[in-house]
Amino acid sequence: MRRFAARLFSRFRRSRLERELADEVAAHLEFAAADHRAKGLSDEDARAAALRQFGGVTQTTEAFRDGYGFPALERAWRDLLFAWRLLRRQPLFAASAIVTVALGVGANTAVVSVLQTVLLNPLGLRHADRVVAVRTQFVKLQLLHGETSGVEFREVQSLTDAFSAASAMEGRAWTWRAKDEASRLVGQAVTPDFFRVFGEYPASGRFFTPEDNEFCVVLSDELWHTRFGADPSAVGRTMTLDNSSFLIVGIASPGFRFPTNAQLWTPLILEPGRLLDSERGRNRSLSVFARRKDGVSEAQAGERVRRYVDGLMLDDAAHSGEFSRNGYGIEITNFGRYIAGDLRRPLLLLWGAASIVLLTGCANIAGLLLARSSGRRREMAIRIAVGAASSQIVRQLLLESLLIGALGGVAGLVVAAVALSLLTHLTFPDSGILTLVSLDSRLLLYGFGLALASGLLFGMAPAIQLVRQSQSAQLNHSRNRWSRDLFVAAEVCGAFVLIVMTTLLLRSLWAIVKIDPGFDSQHVTTAFFLKPENDPGFFDRLQSTLQATPGVQSAALANPVPFAESGVIAGFAVKNRQEQGALGNAEGFQITPGYFQTLRIPFLRGRDLASSDTATSPPVCVIDSRLAAQFFPGQDPVGQEIAMFNGWARVVGVVAAVRRTSLESDPRPAIYYSFAQIPFFPWAAVLVRSNNSAETIIRATVHDTNPAVPVYDVRSLEERLGATLGIRRAMIMLLSAFGAISLLLAIVGLYGVTAQVVSERTREIGLRIALGARPTQILLLLMRHGLRSGVFGLLLGLGAVVYTQRWLAGMLYNVSALDPITLGVVMSGVLMLVLMAVWLPTRRAAGIEPQQVLRHD
Amino acid sequence: MATSKSDLVAGTLALMILKTLETVGSLHGYAIARRIEQISDSQIALNQGTIYPALLRLEQEGWISPKWGESETGRRVKFYAITRTGKKQLRTEQGDWERAAGIVAKFVTLSPTKA
Repeated sequence: MRRFAARLFSRFRRSRLERELADEVAAHLEFAAADHRAKGLSDEDARAAALRQFGGVTQTTEAFRDGYGFPALERAWRDLLFAWRLLRRQPLFAASAIVTVALGVGANTAVVSVLQTVLLNPLGLRHADRVVAVRTQFVKLQLLHGETSGVEFREVQSLTDAFSAASAMEGRAWTWRAKDEASRLVGQAVTPDFFRVFGEYPASGRFFTPEDNEFCVVLSDELWHTRFGADPSAVGRTMTLDNSSFLIVGIASPGFRFPTNAQLWTPLILEPGRLLDSERGRNRSLSVFARRKDGVSEAQAGERVRRYVDGLMLDDAAHSGEFSRNGYGIEITNFGRYIAGDLRRPLLLLWGAASIVLLTGCANIAGLLLARSSGRRREMAIRIAVGAASSQIVRQLLLESLLIGALGGVAGLVVAAVALSLLTHLTFPDSGILTLVSLDSRLLLYGFGLALASGLLFGMAPAIQLVRQSQSAQLNHSRNRWSRDLFVAAEVCGAFVLIVMTTLLLRSLWAIVKIDPGFDSQHVTTAFFLKPENDPGFFDRLQSTLQATPGVQSAALANPVPFAESGVIAGFAVKNRQEQGALGNAEGFQITPGYFQTLRIPFLRGRDLASSDTATSPPVCVIDSRLAAQFFPGQDPVGQEIAMFNGWARVVGVVAAVRRTSLESDPRPAIYYSFAQIPFFPWAAVLVRSNNSAETIIRATVHDTNPAVPVYDVRSLEERLGATLGIRRAMIMLLSAFGAISLLLAIVGLYGVTAQVVSERTREIGLRIALGARPTQILLLLMRHGLRSGVFGLLLGLGAVVYTQRWLAGMLYNVSALDPITLGVVMSGVLMLVLMAVWLPTRRAAGIEPQQVLRHD
Repeated sequence: MATSKSDLVAGTLALMILKTLETVGSLHGYAIARRIEQISDSQIALNQGTIYPALLRLEQEGWISPKWGESETGRRVKFYAITRTGKKQLRTEQGDWERAAGIVAKFVTLSPTKA
């Protein structure tokens, strides 16, 4: 330690130290010479003997110099400065190398940022790695990833050998009256252990306890800042939600936002009735999350639950068999996968694509460096002759590459920041999560580290070449080329794969966009609102006012709205059918008369729901053609009775089936009820068909009808439809960008390699021409090389596509992952570009004058 | 048998310098080198220049301290003297050497055992 400090200080006294040393050495030689003279040698001989005894003065001085300062660091610093000057002298090379690294690192960092927030460290929750989501499934009914009922929650809670805490969550929305202004708040009702499951502590106040009644509230940090002005005295105040008074007991920490849109949380009090075994499969509205006990792995937890369910099913088979027949199960999903949902595969694909771009870029830069280093052979030879160890030269080369990497890394982080800021322009269902994506310090470190690692990677190329050269006397041309050829082939392979994937996704999107959803989505404005308390005639008044407004062609109210959310999916029964229990699953809708006209859904039989169908008249419903075809084949469904909610309802009409969740998935059978008869849901939507956007009309009319009703989420139906395509569109844009960059890099690399071959073999070409070779023959000779790499790369790419076929197929629609047309078109396109890249540099070769070349020695 | 220069000298130059300074008092660089050669009966013929980097290191560690003075011929030259911490270090290194030598001696004096 003392030595370190001494080294540091002596660094500053360098000139004095060197002077003193010179003086000491001089004195030493004087004394030695004097001694020799005393022994009888002549002056000259004495001096020579003294020098001999001393050893080398230069060596001593150098060894002395190593004793102070930090010689290794100073050498490295000098090398770095040299590298910097070298780069400045070759701006074109430097710029292309830095831009390549920047693009590769920037793309990679941006994708990893999203991956981080969505999948790896979901929502930025610090302790969420032990959280699992609990869902139900009825495999035989193709109901997967479903919410649970109270029973499953109670059961998961009881599995204390696997889980240390469990909690249930149910969505809520409230009307908040503050200063005569009504707004809608969204949140969740949660059981007391909710925050414990996520390992969270309140920022102030407290969380819920089992003793709390339902009239308490925990605010989200965001709500506290935006609507309460971060007032520290907020805890303990009350707020009026849905005309009841709620006590604010605590505020969540800023890092906790689950679900992403939750503005506050209230306690969920489950009535004992919901926890009975008989409730299994009913009222599935709970989202259950549990925390794995310490030492229990995800696999073990899943196993535990599986064993439990097996036990249940054995029991069930002995009784009604209802659940075992339908393939009932409880599934445990890692929280990250639960959050990522549909985003998982596209994100992983994007990350693979970004990595391909980065690796391709590195391969190109390595090639550039190799070409550059063969031009520096003289410089290296001189260095070695003057006494530099090859390790020093290697160190210097690596430092040069690290410099490129570092500069590219800084640029890359800027690219990533820009790319992430553009993320907010993407909208698709659940895109709210993207607002949480940010470049934190860890990601900046990752990006910079990636850039440095890339620098090391492509820096190894000239370094290895140097080591091999210094070990063998002759220059090994052929071995050089072999590695460059492999690089080029790999680049072509990567570019090919990316372009094929982009094209396949493009074809899928094209096919989907052409699908007719079954209704006319143009010119329809939709808006959601919360039903007011104590205003039974609200719906009627609202609809009749809207329909009478000039400019409105037709209006209706509905819950849910197609492409906004899905309706309740539940089993239904048909009267007088042999089978007992639920026949199948259908999606339930509540509408007012005029719904089908507004969306222009054609009627097939019978009549629409009418204003005569009220709460007091016999319950009726309208079914869609899918339900009719599936469950009433060859019959007239009108007049039959179906039970889904609340007892038997008579079918009065059949409408055409429409797509509601996404354009590409087949919809479930649908049953439409009248709002007047099934007034369940606390919110509903307005649909208005008009030539221009009806937003102002809707807001004004709702306010006039009942000023306490908040209106939110106003969008056109077209927009909602488009949002479901959002992910696909984004994927295609990004992948095509990556693919284009990769292809460009590959073609440039191929061109470079071929050009180098041509310049190396100039003499040989001259000789051949002099011996009578025709231009075409020369061309073919030179092109054969680059063509070989290009074709090899294409074949590799083909193999890669085949290998990843099944994984990719999950993202495609109506197009096979091995679609021959796509593969053929892309292959011929890339082949043409390869041919061009190989042909251009060889074109000149054919016109070489033999005399010029052979004389140039 | 003459000891190989690099083996012996590199590891023990510091020790020899410190011991010399302790025994004789303060000396300048040439004198230290001559003294080491004398004591080893000229079996160690080191490149005398190697003294100086070693002296620098000892000075950085704080075991010797330099002072300007005059030689017998009146030339101004740097003299080195051992410090208190230097003396402590000398004790430690001496002890290490003796222990190491003792262990090796035990092995070297072992006679082959009859099988």
